[in-house]
Amino acid sequence: MPKILVIEDDADMVTALRMPLEATGYEVVAAATGEEGLQKVKEEVPDLIILDVMMESTTAGFQVSLELRSPAADSEYAAYRNIPILMLTAIHTTTSLRFGPDEAYLPVDDFVDKPVDPDVLLKKVGALVGQAQGDDLPA
Amino acid sequence: MDVDQVLTHLADGARQTMRADAVAVRLLDEQGERVSRAAASGFSVATEMGESAPLARYPIDEQALAGSPIVVDDAHAESWGDSGKGGVPAPYRSALCVPMTHGGDAIGTITAYAATAGRFRAEDASLLEPLADVGATAIVATRALQELEELEARQSLFIRVATHELRSPVAVAQSMVRGVLKGYAGEMTAQQHDLFGRISRRLDLLENLVNDLLDLAAGKAGRRERDTAVLLNAAVGRVVLLLLPRAEEKGVTLAYQACCEELIVRGTEDGIDRILVNVVDNAVKYTPSGGDVAVALQRDGEQIEIVVSDTGIGIPEKALPHLFEEFYRAPNAKAMDTVGTGLGLAIVRDLVQRYCGRITVKSAEGEGTTVTVTFPRVDLAECFF
Repeated sequence: MPKILVIEDDADMVTALRMPLEATGYEVVAAATGEEGLQKVKEEVPDLIILDVMMESTTAGFQVSLELRSPAADSEYAAYRNIPILMLTAIHTTTSLRFGPDEAYLPVDDFVDKPVDPDVLLKKVGALVGQAQGDDLPA
Repeated sequence: MDVDQVLTHLADGARQTMRADAVAVRLLDEQGERVSRAAASGFSVATEMGESAPLARYPIDEQALAGSPIVVDDAHAESWGDSGKGGVPAPYRSALCVPMTHGGDAIGTITAYAATAGRFRAEDASLLEPLADVGATAIVATRALQELEELEARQSLFIRVATHELRSPVAVAQSMVRGVLKGYAGEMTAQQHDLFGRISRRLDLLENLVNDLLDLAAGKAGRRERDTAVLLNAAVGRVVLLLLPRAEEKGVTLAYQACCEELIVRGTEDGIDRILVNVVDNAVKYTPSGGDVAVALQRDGEQIEIVVSDTGIGIPEKALPHLFEEFYRAPNAKAMDTVGTGLGLAIVRDLVQRYCGRITVKSAEGEGTTVTVTFPRVDLAECFF
């Protein structure tokens, strides 16, 4: 059962995400702050991270993603660099964000708009989890 | 330029004009009781800035602030010399102090110092006084500008915080309702499903209203935001990519005809994004499943055109003149099961006008709509402004 770590400070939003994910058979663990999230990445080693763009500060979500994807050789998260990240955001804030494979941009794999549509969420989660697990298969 | 820079220029300028060995600019506090050294030029020893002292400690300034210039011929021979820091500081012997006033209020002094005695005469004040006048005006104007900038920064912070605080609960509630509606919280009766469907539509409307109102507020508040060169190719591509999932979900084809030439306009990236998101999202929103939306970016001489055409429901002729009015929605748009606030195009119109652009709408009910946004092209060479 793939494990998903939801890093989100709003407990109701966690409920909204947990509902469709658990009903589809994912295991969901949650963290309420960026710091707790980073801790849980190490403890739980999830298959996917769903990250809220705004938590305790407007940049907390960005900081978590930058920390996790740090290219530094001695990064304490080097072992978790390949865990896919799905960022939760709102379309109006997305328009001024830059993201993509380029390291200079926000290092996340995909976005889900708030309010979350459960079908869109499940489609994106399925794609990212499948992709990551596919990468691990021998060629 | 901030007040400190203005004052430094003033001190340097005064020293040159007066051929003085040193110049100090001191400012009076609002109560008119304390003075502080605000700028200095030419002093051989390090001088402390910003620390205030009672006006009485600066007897020369105190006298000058009463309204007329003061000349100290030889500080060693006059009583000024013994007044410690407030008199003529060593190694200087003579000084000329003029008041800076604005609108009848004294705001500070400029004092020129020389190492030799008898360096300044009373008529020299006529050289320093115009500088003091200009300096006083510049200080008052710069302070006012700074206050305005601080006010704008506070306003824009308020909008950002309000944006998050207002959007967040709506988005959370809507996310939960959608989960319930899709059956992830167990089965519902038909009546419950109907009621949750209505709640969901109300929340959609509330979300759009909050977004649009805040966009409108941000647009009006950001009027003084500095324009830069915006690469339109990147902006249009980004917005099309952003809205592609929404179109796909609806069964609408969203095609983009890019332009290989780099097209640059003057504006803000946020504002241009807002224009494009609104126009393209409208086209997707009002085109039923199976329809097409085409976005084209092209150059027409010195103009850049973004053409968004759709095969959607179109706009009735009677509605066309009201399209850009706040809260107006065409009757056929209202009749659709699509949420809208009637603010989107009002926001677009404001922004397009701000960037010296034009927006035209051609449409016939039932036959689709073509929206053309035109901006003046900015030459790459002009971008380094």
